[in-house]
Order: sequence, then structure tokens, then C-alpha cells
Amino acid sequence: MFHVEHYDVVVIGAGHAGIEAANISEKYGLKTALITKNYSDLGKLSCNPSIGGVGKTHIASEVDILGGVICKIGDKSAIHYRVLNLSKGPAVWGVRAQIDRDLYSQNMKKFIKSSKIDLIEDEATNILEKNNKIIGVELSNIGKIKSKAVILTTGTFLNGKIYFGNESQEAGRIGNSSSKALAKFINKNFKTMRLKTGTPPRIYAQSINYDVLEPQISENNGIFLSYFTKQNTNKKINCFITKTNNKTHKIIRDNLDKSAMYSGIIKSQGVRYCPSIEDKITKFGDRNGHNIFLEPEGLNSDLVYPNGISNSLDKKIQLKFLRSIKGLEKCEVDQFGYAVEYDSVDPRELKNNFETKKIENFFLAGQINGTTGYEEAAGQGVYAAIHAAIKIKKIKFNTKVFERDNSYIGVLVDDLTKLGVTEPYRMFTSRAENRLKLRTDNSYERFSTIITPKAFNKAEYSLISKNIVNEKKILDQLKKLKYSPNNLMKKNIKVKKDGKVRNGFEVLKFLYPSPNNFYQFFNIKISQKLLTKIYFDSKYDVFYEREKKSFDQLSKNKNMKLTNIDFNKIPSLSKEILEKLNKHKPENLYDAGKISGITPSALFQIVKHKKDKGKKVA
Amino acid sequence: MFNEGTIYANITPIVKSPIIGYRISGEDVLFILKKLTNKNFKNNHSLLKLVDLYNYDGTILDKCSVVYFKSPKSFTGEDVCEIFIHGSPLIASQLEKTLKSYKIPGFRIAKNGEFSYRSVLNNKNSLKQAKAVNSIISNESFSLLEYNKRLLFEGDKVSGLAPLREEIINIFSEITASIDFVDDEDFNFKNIMKKIRFFFNYCNNLLHKNRTKIEQKSICKIMLIGAVNVGKSTLFNKIIDKDRAIVTEIKGTTRDFLSNLVIIDGKKFELFDTAGQRSKQGKIEKYGYKRAQSLSREIDHFLILSDKNTKSVDLKQLFYDFSVKNNYSLIKTKSDLYNYNTKDIKINHHLDRDNVLKKIKLSSIHKKYVNNKKIELNFDINEIEFLEDILKYEQDITKEKDILIIAQLIRNILDDFSYEFGYINNEDIYDRVFSNFCIGK
Repeated sequence: MFHVEHYDVVVIGAGHAGIEAANISEKYGLKTALITKNYSDLGKLSCNPSIGGVGKTHIASEVDILGGVICKIGDKSAIHYRVLNLSKGPAVWGVRAQIDRDLYSQNMKKFIKSSKIDLIEDEATNILEKNNKIIGVELSNIGKIKSKAVILTTGTFLNGKIYFGNESQEAGRIGNSSSKALAKFINKNFKTMRLKTGTPPRIYAQSINYDVLEPQISENNGIFLSYFTKQNTNKKINCFITKTNNKTHKIIRDNLDKSAMYSGIIKSQGVRYCPSIEDKITKFGDRNGHNIFLEPEGLNSDLVYPNGISNSLDKKIQLKFLRSIKGLEKCEVDQFGYAVEYDSVDPRELKNNFETKKIENFFLAGQINGTTGYEEAAGQGVYAAIHAAIKIKKIKFNTKVFERDNSYIGVLVDDLTKLGVTEPYRMFTSRAENRLKLRTDNSYERFSTIITPKAFNKAEYSLISKNIVNEKKILDQLKKLKYSPNNLMKKNIKVKKDGKVRNGFEVLKFLYPSPNNFYQFFNIKISQKLLTKIYFDSKYDVFYEREKKSFDQLSKNKNMKLTNIDFNKIPSLSKEILEKLNKHKPENLYDAGKISGITPSALFQIVKHKKDKGKKVA
Repeated sequence: MFNEGTIYANITPIVKSPIIGYRISGEDVLFILKKLTNKNFKNNHSLLKLVDLYNYDGTILDKCSVVYFKSPKSFTGEDVCEIFIHGSPLIASQLEKTLKSYKIPGFRIAKNGEFSYRSVLNNKNSLKQAKAVNSIISNESFSLLEYNKRLLFEGDKVSGLAPLREEIINIFSEITASIDFVDDEDFNFKNIMKKIRFFFNYCNNLLHKNRTKIEQKSICKIMLIGAVNVGKSTLFNKIIDKDRAIVTEIKGTTRDFLSNLVIIDGKKFELFDTAGQRSKQGKIEKYGYKRAQSLSREIDHFLILSDKNTKSVDLKQLFYDFSVKNNYSLIKTKSDLYNYNTKDIKINHHLDRDNVLKKIKLSSIHKKYVNNKKIELNFDINEIEFLEDILKYEQDITKEKDILIIAQLIRNILDDFSYEFGYINNEDIYDRVFSNFCIGK
């Protein structure tokens, strides 16, 4: 017997991927249920109490502009801001906010309650399909419910196992039993792999001697996570920095046999960019010390998250090495650090739209696809939900915005579904070929073709529309202004005496970008935020042109026939890539790019080869 | 498809000779050997065996040596056998007919370079090494042959580009780390720029040094020596074919020395016209003569000119002054005025250029010296061109202050290196990042 409600979409799991998926699905008018095993865990930040950072903010800002909630709720719950890479160009600025865990969770719950999403507290035990097509979900208490599509976002709960030293227990994260029933279904139907991650101990704030530590004060430069946030009135807290020392290193080195990772108990692949303190000491032990960032978990929380010392050592050793660190001499621990092993699905089991190849209308999003990080999970939740809506409701949506030259979500999807993963996948800006263009301050521009009132409330939508109109107005004015090299010389701006008349937009890159300066020069009023954005547009314009040309080249790829090219004659292609090209025999370059494992760089080599070949013939 | 199927080809020319060799590579090798010899080679790898070969109709085809190399310990990394039949083209054609008669799916004659190609695919050789095999076979120049042999036996590290590739990957990794992992370690923009400038300086030096080396290598240096007024400048002018040296009848016109590059039949020569030898030299002429002498060590070949008036002591003195060994041609000038009874080359100023060139045989002199010149090379011409391409980025990168733009341009350089050395992808970069820097929290 099926439960009375018939859903368009059932989202299983209410973490960052699940919440975003349910939210988008609901906003696009689909009848949506969100299943969580434990209501109190909804929107829990299970690892560090912060959102954003380089690469991560980049995905989050795209989620934001697609109508997602991570940035908005993040800002509401933020108690400390920093912008990383501020000395470099805005393409790599990474705002990072320390989040009050309780506030975040409360705000998230409030938001879900206020939405039309049906929140169900129950455990999903089975996915129901007929002829490889989704028909519903089976829940432990309620029983069967019908749904046209299912988005599974169960994070690390699949066969999760946690380790402290030689102790281990089955759990997705501490305090949660792992979902065995579901795991069985997934393991039966999909290729999975075992991944590993870790978390540091949590320390009582009162037991830390802050007086001897260097504080990091929250910055106040008006840069927030969300495009729509105007201010943050929360009280701000300081973070603190301390360091490991030789004594710490010795304790850890002497006790590597009491580390789950080093004693051989854990065999799965760890994360290179998130090394445990054991890894750091073993590989880079000669350093004077490794930084530890003491991040308070909230305004009213008595816990501190010591970022930088995730480990799987025996509990006694953890306490011993912690107490060797400056400021932590008398520290008390609430929860010890541990390593988690879990199953994730090989993301090559997914189609480009995150639907599994095997079961129609069955979508996977988040950590289950082999990624790590809240922001990466959120991005996938949004992506899967939009594609579920396209599939179920036939909504109109220009999916070109998710090409890898236009968005980090696109880069993530492309990398996952084409290349798969060998370790939990985290976003880095260096993964994007078009890094100069994929900026957080222009995501509204990159997604302009799909910005819809459906995804926002009235105030948000009118803000974004107003800003776009205003920007266009200023740009039009700028482009009408003309300057000859002589004009510019008189204004103390050195340009080539090439006789070329430049418009205001082209001249902008020569100015110091302050609103005052801008007003004096062009007699146009502008906000600092917009000025920074168009200043770098002006500066990077020539590179956009170059990138665009190379992308146009790729767009022409559909016309570039490969039928008479012998890939084997291109010496720089790797064996894997050659095998794939020879197997799939793509008809044109565009198809070649769609083959799993073919990278843009490989395509470039093919184009270059084809050109060189042309030259030789001529 | 390229990497599928078993392939065969003759590895010697199929002409009447003591031996004709065949190589077969692929997964059907053992099967073929069993068919061909009635023997199982499975446990007989890397051993030269004398066996009977059987024709497709069961008759004996030949008695000959066969060697089987078991995968991966073979040239291509696949199962390989080499068969050395008696050198009769007839036996060869019968062998091929027999091989084809087994009708093995995908069995076919190898394309040009396919064995080497498979060796690269199976990681037996690097791309550069495979290219080197090809160059060794086709190279006619001794130094390049040495270079290619070293590439083959010692690996990519021999190439002068290899350390550059390492360095640019390191630089790109550091830039990547400094952007994506900014708060994990202390990165310093100035330091990165210093490394970049060092990289380009290094490229420039390499380019300059090796271009000179290669150019020098292909040039045959010829010096004209002889008594004053014997006609060195006349011959010099005739060869270079323009009025560079002033030719007069006054003794001692060429006071220092003149040199000129000239290309004859596509071959490069540097020609030196020297001050003449005479007992009473002016100060400047003496200096010129000395300068020419000091150059003599670099000279490949001397044209020693003399005429009826030249005394044999003076000739001996010339041999001594210029340390001439057996690298010389003797030339008698003014053959229109005098009759010479020697085997020496005889010329006079009435002869046209072609005739003169024919007589002094510059082409064979070039061949003799240039091909045997030994210079330690770690670049070939293509690699030099590659360096030039890389250096086109120098201005843009070193003047730039925005690290993101620098990163973008260096990525272009990496793509160029990919083309030369094989593929460099993001993962290669991250490997470097995570092993060089303590990244992450």
C-alpha cells in the first residue's frame, strides 16, 4: 500500500545537498518531500563551522544566484568574516564566514518550515523502481510513498565507519547510525568506492588560554557570502591562531601505531588537501610547526573547532598532544577527533544531468558522489533538482549555463561525470580553465539567462533586476565617452600613442578604481562594489576575448570533423585518452569533448594537431 | 584500430642477403609461433632458438632462428617474436602467406612506426625516446645521432627541455598553491616572479648557446692561406660571389682577415681570407697574419694556394704556422700563365665560378668535416624552435602584475610542453602541489 501523498520529487537526506535540492524543486513548482532520519540534524554543519573560502565561495555564489539558501542562511548565522586572496584579482577572492552552528541549524529549520516542502522524519530503507524507472521510496515507519523522481543525498552515511585509534564503530558521523538498508540497494545497483575523511577534536572554550594567542579579527569590508545580503548585525567573535611544536610532533611520531590511518586499519584513500596531523608530521615534520586555527563554534557555544589537526589517534594521545600546544596546555576535550570511512558512488555512474545511467529519474547529489564540502554538496543539490524539474515538469531552462566555461558547478559536474574521483573531490579555482571569467562578483551575469522570479522572493528579485539595469545604464554611458591618446595624456594616463580612440569602458582599466576617482574622471556616480566589478571586466576584457575565441573555437567544434584524423599521430595524448578516442570514434570535436575522460587540454592538442597538419600540407 | 590486433613487419629490407628479419607483436604471438613451429614458446622467452618453420600446407618453409619476448619484457611491451629467415625474398613471401593463412582477426602488417608507437603506449619508451629511435635510424649527423642515442638509453632527462619542463611545472604548482591554498603556507609573489625570470633567463641562455652550437656544427670552416699576392682574394671573391674583398695587384691588400658565410648547394661554409705570408710584413699585416694563425685551430680545412714563385720553404712554413695536418687541398693559381706538372688543383682567374667550385670540390669537403664534428648536444632543431615559442611569452609574463593573468599565460606554456613531452593535466599539477607544500587543515 502506498502512502496517500504522491510526490514529484522525494529528497532523501537533509544536509546541504538535500536542503538545496528540496528548495529548488519546490520553487520550480514540484511537489516535494524532504526525508530526514533525525529532525534535530537538519542543516547541521558536520565538519568545520565555516562556509566559503577560495573555490568554495565560487560554487556557493552560483548556488545563491540560482535561488539556493546556503549563502543567505550562512550570512544570517555568520559571526566572523574574512576575505582570502584580497590582494589578488577578484576572480579568486574567497569570502569565508565563521558560522554559529546553532544559529545556522535554527535558521535552516525556520526556512524549511516556512516553505511548502513536506518534511518527513523517517528512515528511507529502499528505493522503489519498476523497469529501471523510479516509482517511489520505502520508509521505515510510514511505508511506501510514490514519487516521480528521487534525489538521494545521504552524504557519508553509506556504510560509514568511524575510527579513533584502534577503536571503531559503525556510524555516518558521531551519534548517527549508518544507513545499511539503503547501502545495500546502492551497492547492488552501482559501482561504489570507499573514501576516507577526518575531523579534529572539539575543545572547551573555557579551557583555552587565549591570552597567549594571536587573535584573528573579523574583517568588515562589506563583502558577504550572498549577493542579497546587505548587512550582518550579529555580534562578531575572534578566531585565534596557535601552532604545533617539536614536542607535539614527537608525541605524534612516537604514537603513529595508535593512529587508525597509520596502523593500517584504514586502507582507503585519504584526502591530499585535507591531511591529518599524522600526515603533516610524517611528510612535513621538519617545519617549525603547523598552524592551528581555533574557530569558536558559536556565540553561545562553549566549544572550539581547532582547524588543522584532524586525526584518528587514540583518545589519550590526542589529549596528550593537544596539551603540548601553546594556549591548550590545560585544554579539555568534548569530542575527540576521528577518521570516517564511507562508501560513495562512482560518479561516472551518472549522466551529465546527475541522473543515474541505470535507473531513470533517480538522481544522486552531494558527498555520495565522491565530493567533500558543504558548498560542493549544495551546488550538486541545486543542479540535480533543476534537472529533475526539467525531466519531470519539462521546465524551460537554458542548461548552457552549466557548461564548464561558464560556471564552477559546470566544472564540477564535468569533472565528476567524465573523470570520476580517486579521493573526495573539492573545488579549486585552478580546476577551471576560464578562471578569469568565473568570478563570484559576476555570477548574476553568467547566469543572467536563467534568472527567474520563481527562484527568489520579491525583494530579492527586484534588487537583482534593479542592479542589472543600473549596471547597463552606467556601461552605456561609459561606452559613449570617447578619449584619444592625447586626451588621456592630458589627464595623466599613459597609453600607447596609437591614435586609437578609446571609450570610457576601455579607459577604465587605467584608473585607480575608487568611486571618487571614477566620478572625477567620468562624472558618473557608482558604488564601490559595482566599480570593482566593471573595473576588472575592463582589465580582463582582452583575456575574455582570448578565452572567448578559444571557446568559440570549441563551439565551432561541432563543425570540425574528426573522421579523417588519426588520433594515434598526436603524440601528446595520454594512453587513456587515446584508447577512449579510438573506442568512441567521435565524429567531431564537440563529441570528442563529451567523451568521459577527455579533457579540454586534450581537445586543444587535437585542434593544434589538425592545424599543424593543415600547415604542412600548404 | 591502432592499439588492437597483432601486427607484423619485416625489420630488414626484403632483398637477397644472408638474413631477412620479421617482427610480430601482439597477443597472438604465442599462437602464431605454435602454428609456425609446432613448438610452445611459453617458457622459452628471450632465448634465441633454432627451429623448423612450417608452411601453411605443412611442408618445411625454413630452418632458422626465432626469439620470443614475453610481455612486458619486450620492445613494445606486448608479446613479441622475431624470426630470422634465410635471406631469400621468396622465403619471405612464403612466410607472409603462411602468417596470413591463419586468418587471425585483426592480424595485419604494421604501419610505419607502429612498433615504436606501441612502446610509448605501453610505457616502454617515452614519447621523446620513440622519436629518438626514429632519428637514430634516419640521422646522418654524428652529433645528433649521439644525442638521440642518449635520449633512448638514458631517457627524457637528457633532453635540454626536461629541466625546463620540471621548472615550469614547479612554478605553476606554486602559483596554483598560492591562489587556492593561500592561508596554508606563506607564499610570496616576489619569490614566484624571481623564479619566473630565472626560468626565462635560463631559456634564453639555452637558446643562445645551443643555436650557436647547432649553427656552428653545420658550418664548414675553410681558410685560404698562401703567399702574398698568390690570388687568395681572387679565389675568395669567386667563391663568395660578391665584391667583398678588395682585389688588387698590390702586395698585402688583405691586412687582417675577412670572413664570409656562403651557402653552396645548400651547405654552409664560413670562408676566411687571410693576410698573405711574406718576409717583410707591415705592423698591421703582421698582426693580421697572427690573428689568422690564432684562428687556425677552429678551421676544418685549408686551401693552400701557391704559384710558380712559391718556394717550398715558404710552403712548409705555412703548414707550420697554421698547424695544418692532413686537412688541406693544394691549389696552384695562375694556371693561365704557368704550366704546372703536379696533381694539385689548378685554377686561374679566367675560370668561371662553377668551374672553380667543381675543381676544389667544396661539397665533399663539407661532408667530410661536418658529419664527423662532435659537439655534445642536448637539443635538436625542433627543440630549439620550441624554446623560441616559449620565449614569446616572456615579455607578457614578466611585465604582468596580476598573478591570475600570469597563471593563465603559464598554462599556455604547459600546453606547449604537453605537445612536446606528453600530457600534463591538473592532477599532475596537484600531485606536485601536495608533495611540495603542506596544504590543508
